[in-house]
Amino acid sequence: MDLASVPLRRLSISAAAVVVALALATGLVAALESIVLVPNASAAYLLAVIGLAVARGTWAAAVGAIGSFLAYNFLFVHPVRTFDVVDPGEWLNLLLLLVVGLVVGRLAGLQRDRAAVAELQAREAGGLFRVSRLLATNDSRDALPMIVAVLRDETRMGRVWIGLTGGTPLESVVADTGIGVDRPDSTRHQLLRRTAGEAPAEWVGMHAPVGPRRTIRDPAMSAHRVVIEAGGRSLGSIWSLRPRALGHPTREETRLLAGAADQIGQALERDRLRAEATGLEVARQSDALKSALLDTVSHDLRTPLATIRAAAGALTGVAGESAGSALAGPAAVIDRQAQYLDRLVTNLLDLSRAEAGSLRPDLQPISLDDAVADTVDRLQPVLRDRALSTDIPAALPPVLVDEVHLAAIVTNLLENAIAHTAAGSPIVVRGALSDDDRSVRLVVEDGGPGVPDEALGRLFEKFYRVTTGGGPARGSGIGLAVVRSLAEAGGGRVAARRSGLGGLAIEVEFPVASAALETG
Amino acid sequence: MTSGSAPAPGLLLIEDDEDLSASLADALAAHGYRVRTAATGQDGLVAWEAARPDLVLLDLGLPDLDGTAVIRRIRRDAITPILILSARHLEADRIRALDLGADDYVTKPFGVGELMARIRALLRRSAGPAASGEGRIEVGPLVLDVPSHQVTLDGRPVELTPREFEVLKVLMTHAGRLVTHGRLLRAVWGTAYSDEPHYGHVYVSQIRRKLAAVDPTGAARGLIVAEPGVGYRVRAPGD
Repeated sequence: MDLASVPLRRLSISAAAVVVALALATGLVAALESIVLVPNASAAYLLAVIGLAVARGTWAAAVGAIGSFLAYNFLFVHPVRTFDVVDPGEWLNLLLLLVVGLVVGRLAGLQRDRAAVAELQAREAGGLFRVSRLLATNDSRDALPMIVAVLRDETRMGRVWIGLTGGTPLESVVADTGIGVDRPDSTRHQLLRRTAGEAPAEWVGMHAPVGPRRTIRDPAMSAHRVVIEAGGRSLGSIWSLRPRALGHPTREETRLLAGAADQIGQALERDRLRAEATGLEVARQSDALKSALLDTVSHDLRTPLATIRAAAGALTGVAGESAGSALAGPAAVIDRQAQYLDRLVTNLLDLSRAEAGSLRPDLQPISLDDAVADTVDRLQPVLRDRALSTDIPAALPPVLVDEVHLAAIVTNLLENAIAHTAAGSPIVVRGALSDDDRSVRLVVEDGGPGVPDEALGRLFEKFYRVTTGGGPARGSGIGLAVVRSLAEAGGGRVAARRSGLGGLAIEVEFPVASAALETG
Repeated sequence: MTSGSAPAPGLLLIEDDEDLSASLADALAAHGYRVRTAATGQDGLVAWEAARPDLVLLDLGLPDLDGTAVIRRIRRDAITPILILSARHLEADRIRALDLGADDYVTKPFGVGELMARIRALLRRSAGPAASGEGRIEVGPLVLDVPSHQVTLDGRPVELTPREFEVLKVLMTHAGRLVTHGRLLRAVWGTAYSDEPHYGHVYVSQIRRKLAAVDPTGAARGLIVAEPGVGYRVRAPGD
């Protein structure tokens, strides 16, 4: 296995270092004892031990300390070239050399290890800081190309890229430190399995056909993947290629990759929420603008209508003073037509509000029989020659509906029936509870000519008008569209069918107001 | 319209649209009223002080003053009936005006016939004995006796619960005028319920049923009229 060569090479370098250090120290001791005539120069070996500790770590220092002990014994303690020791004082020297060597070597080695860990942690912290700074000062999509460069440098990767799903199962690459789009069909990669709590994350081998993949044809490289998540959803991955000689990422490198994945996840989530909020704000402002526009149009159209009706009223009043005046008839026509225009404007505005999404139904429990009776009462002047009958049981539960919308719905249904029936023709208004008791159905049917079956489905379309028997189409073609808009805005439904009376039957279903209210 | 001896009722019309104001003044005059007009809130208040009319017709969208300021000023020292001429889309303003003491409203473009009916109803109520809410209140065939908690329709007793009685009392005390949902709720249930219009709907619905049950002619049904989204009005006979 490739990875085995790494410790072996480091071991042989350490062994060579020990040999060289001991040789140098031996030379120094020999020089000191024979030329300078120092009686005991064994302390010079401690220099070699410290050097080994600093350069190669604790274990090299320990081996160096034992080697020093043996070498000094063999080469300089009488009798030389043997491991025998005659003088007990020399034993003490040798033991001191061994113990001091081991202790000094251990201390120097620990210091070296700590410095190495501190440097790694400093790199990790520095890397995380740069990642979070990039995300904080840029839109996350702009930050990602710079982040992959930071991660590559700080985690000793050959290449780092980020793939994001963007709501689809497949990731697409949004940032890459390398170039080229060579993608193999499947890839073995190391996935960082993260655990909740304190347990350290671990790299596990995976064989999954997940994209996007960069070429891993270079056998000296292994692929690593950290999933980017936010709010429990997977948003993509940080992928990297690492020289196999370096083994798995160290603990600090792993933490940097995991931390970067977390921060990217949070930043993407933040961007998404911000975009959502901006969209809502734009929609809100657009709604407000439309409503303001409709209010202005409404006001500008109605003020002249009010004047026309007032003027017609003045004419009627004058006519009343002098009975038989030729003014009374025309004044009544003007007033009726102005009223018709007002209804048309009202319906157009209701329809526009429905389409702008600015109908805001104020749903209340309302008794259908009361509401219908009130509307019929208001429409008496136009209902005068129609045979209207209502059958709405008082025992029906109240329906949940906007009171103003309900009045407009009933008015439009009755006006539609009036417009399409001749004088004396029956119009029937019924109310009934649905089979599941969850809704109340209001039916307005008439004995008029009705509409062809193929037109039934289109009656609620805007500006749809049925031409029957070659006669001109009557009505504006928006009354029933308004009925549908208002009914549906409050959770109701509409349908059209043939009536048993021969004409048309329009059904509107309203949800039953379930809240039981005590009375008394 | 005008009776021989009594002076014709004086109306003050505060409306900034010149054409509408002129046409309305003509129509009102044709129906026998004395009409003064004003085009701004300030002028309207000056005219009101000077003439003390029997009824004020007030447009809410005035160029200088908020219409509600005019209502507040008039209500400070008079119960002169105030009829609002309102644009349809300003529903909230309309309800606020009614809650501040305006008596009724019509929405533009209103018919002159409808306007005359409202004016007649308001003038009749203000001319007749003020309903105190303490004694006996009569509106056409409907009689409500406060001390005995009795309600009769054409002499036939109507059994109402105490709450229903209170609701009907408030509506009948203001007969001919519009009582907003908020005002009805505050009067009967207290301020805590003023955002629960369905209470009003439920009780008024019950009252109408009980009235209809003792009335074979069906005429009682129209005694209480709903103004969708605004409130209720007890219709005085002849309106």
